[in-house]
Amino acid sequence: MPTIKIDGRTIEVTKGTTLLEAAQKLGIYIPRYCYHPKLSISGNCRMCLVEIENAPKLATACSTEAAEGMSVFTGTDKVKTARRDMLEFLLINHPLDCPICDQAGECGLQDYYMKYSLQKSRFRQEEKVRRQKRRAVGPHLVLDNERCILCTRCVRFCAEVTKTSELEVMQRSDHSYIDLKEGKALDNNYSLNIADICPVGAFTSRDFRFKQRVWFLKKTSTVCLGCATGCRMTAHHNENTIYRLVPLPNSQTNTWLCDHGRMTYKAVQAGDRLSKGVIKNGLIDLEPALREAATRIDEAKSEAAVLGSPWLSVEDNAALARLAISALKTVNFCFEFSSGQGIKDGILVNEDPAPNTAGAGLLKAAHGGVSLEELSGRIASGRIKVLVTEARAAGLVKTALKTSGCRLIVFAQNRSEIPAGAYATLPYASYFETPGTFINYQGLRRRTNPAVRPADGVKPLWNVVNKLAAYSGTSLGLDSAENALKDIKL
Amino acid sequence: MESTLTEEFKAKAAHICARYPRRDAALIPLLAEIQKEHGFIAEEAMDALARLLEIPYSRVKAVTTFYTMFKRAPAGRYHLQVCRNISCHMAGAPGLLESLRAKLGIKEGETTRDGLFTLSAVECLGACGSAPVMMVNEIYFENLTAGKLDAVLEDLRHNRLKDLGL
Repeated sequence: MPTIKIDGRTIEVTKGTTLLEAAQKLGIYIPRYCYHPKLSISGNCRMCLVEIENAPKLATACSTEAAEGMSVFTGTDKVKTARRDMLEFLLINHPLDCPICDQAGECGLQDYYMKYSLQKSRFRQEEKVRRQKRRAVGPHLVLDNERCILCTRCVRFCAEVTKTSELEVMQRSDHSYIDLKEGKALDNNYSLNIADICPVGAFTSRDFRFKQRVWFLKKTSTVCLGCATGCRMTAHHNENTIYRLVPLPNSQTNTWLCDHGRMTYKAVQAGDRLSKGVIKNGLIDLEPALREAATRIDEAKSEAAVLGSPWLSVEDNAALARLAISALKTVNFCFEFSSGQGIKDGILVNEDPAPNTAGAGLLKAAHGGVSLEELSGRIASGRIKVLVTEARAAGLVKTALKTSGCRLIVFAQNRSEIPAGAYATLPYASYFETPGTFINYQGLRRRTNPAVRPADGVKPLWNVVNKLAAYSGTSLGLDSAENALKDIKL
Repeated sequence: MESTLTEEFKAKAAHICARYPRRDAALIPLLAEIQKEHGFIAEEAMDALARLLEIPYSRVKAVTTFYTMFKRAPAGRYHLQVCRNISCHMAGAPGLLESLRAKLGIKEGETTRDGLFTLSAVECLGACGSAPVMMVNEIYFENLTAGKLDAVLEDLRHNRLKDLGL
């Protein structure tokens, strides 16, 4: 356990800790480009040079391990000069096209230049070595080699995290550039992380670029509902529109976020987003749609059934349980979903595509109900006349529904979600618009936070359920999501 | 694709690989071997070599492009490599290069249309004592002057240097 001094402050660190990490523990920031906590140490950018007492030269903080009695200085004139000179080097061939660069505002070169350099370059613009400008390198990324500072974070990400090794540094010296096999796409379901870890504007997201300047973005931390892993992420939004999702690194689930998860926000503002009800194929205002649905439920009475959904929050599942038990007074309800759980690609993607299988299980624990097989059997045998469920959950009993003549009343967010043959569809607010509790495959409880407001008239699912019950003559008295959770132990 | 590497090459590769603790360490010697066999390293060969050594293609490409002595396109029959480092420079290498450019009608890195000559300016050839130096394939021509250079060029054109292995 070496004890070292950084800028006069003493810290004891475990053996193998680098100077950069030790400084970070003391709250001393050392600038870096190539260093990334989850990638191997490269030591090529030289931004983290620090002075060590009695050492002949400056050393890179990212690759120097703390040794007993070391005294490190991070702010001496020598260090400051080194940082300024390194920035001048890195900027020799940089095109300085910030006004048309989408990284502007979150660019490592801009930030460090303002903080550590503010010096005029001694190299002439005309003499810059030109490299290839922007080109798409796969479904999610654009690569602009001219802006690249060759920190190789992207190369190491592909080699170490996805283990696909698409990228490498080609050529050498000032001709070097990042490239991949000709004709091959950079498409490994984690490619957008490269746009995040790229400290400059070399890799940018095809989806996000030029949609919004980053300084306008507001940030809301929430949970990814792309699968049962339930990664934490931040939604970047402005004026009620979400522009991108980025990972919120945490020790429990994720450092990264998969490409699939990052695109989940698309459905929220898609053109086919429902703000009205649908009866058969015709759009209709929510109130008449509710009345129609309630009438069908009333006709069926105890022959109606409710199927919860692993895609809905615990609160919304609880509201559905209340609908089944208090309003429909039926025994035909199911909140039991089974799915293989566990990381299937060795990084983040879960075998279970639904985010809340475990959360729905809480309702099963509290209220019982029948199994999914049993419910599907009852539907197939024609004993159930009306089924109330969520659109994707309806897919779980698709074959049973096909032959049964059972009327399907579904909750859906987008028109494309509506299963074929649905009788009535009721819209509800997405979890980017309303809070909800989800339980991931490890049993971690996480809450989504609303980043945007739903369209007028679109309410959270528990609220729609409350209205549906009211139309069929029972007051569930649900005036908040928490209220629905009354009997549930989270 | 697999056929890019002959059985003979694979046998040789196994022999070279055995010299190193790790298979991928044999990458550079094997690239050199390919170049010796074919005169240059084709994309297909890089691909096949990557599979043979079980390393990513991008790694092979990165190494191949890093070293300027690996050629990625066929060169002419005679590869004229003129040293441009300090000793040769002071002894008149720029003039030699200039006259070669004019005589052959090509720039550095290019090959004449008849496929006879490829011209390159290279870094130190390690023969400063006899500067200026030009290496043709693997043969050195030292203490060059304009006249000597013309004679070498003529000899090469008429295939008169067979004894030297050219």
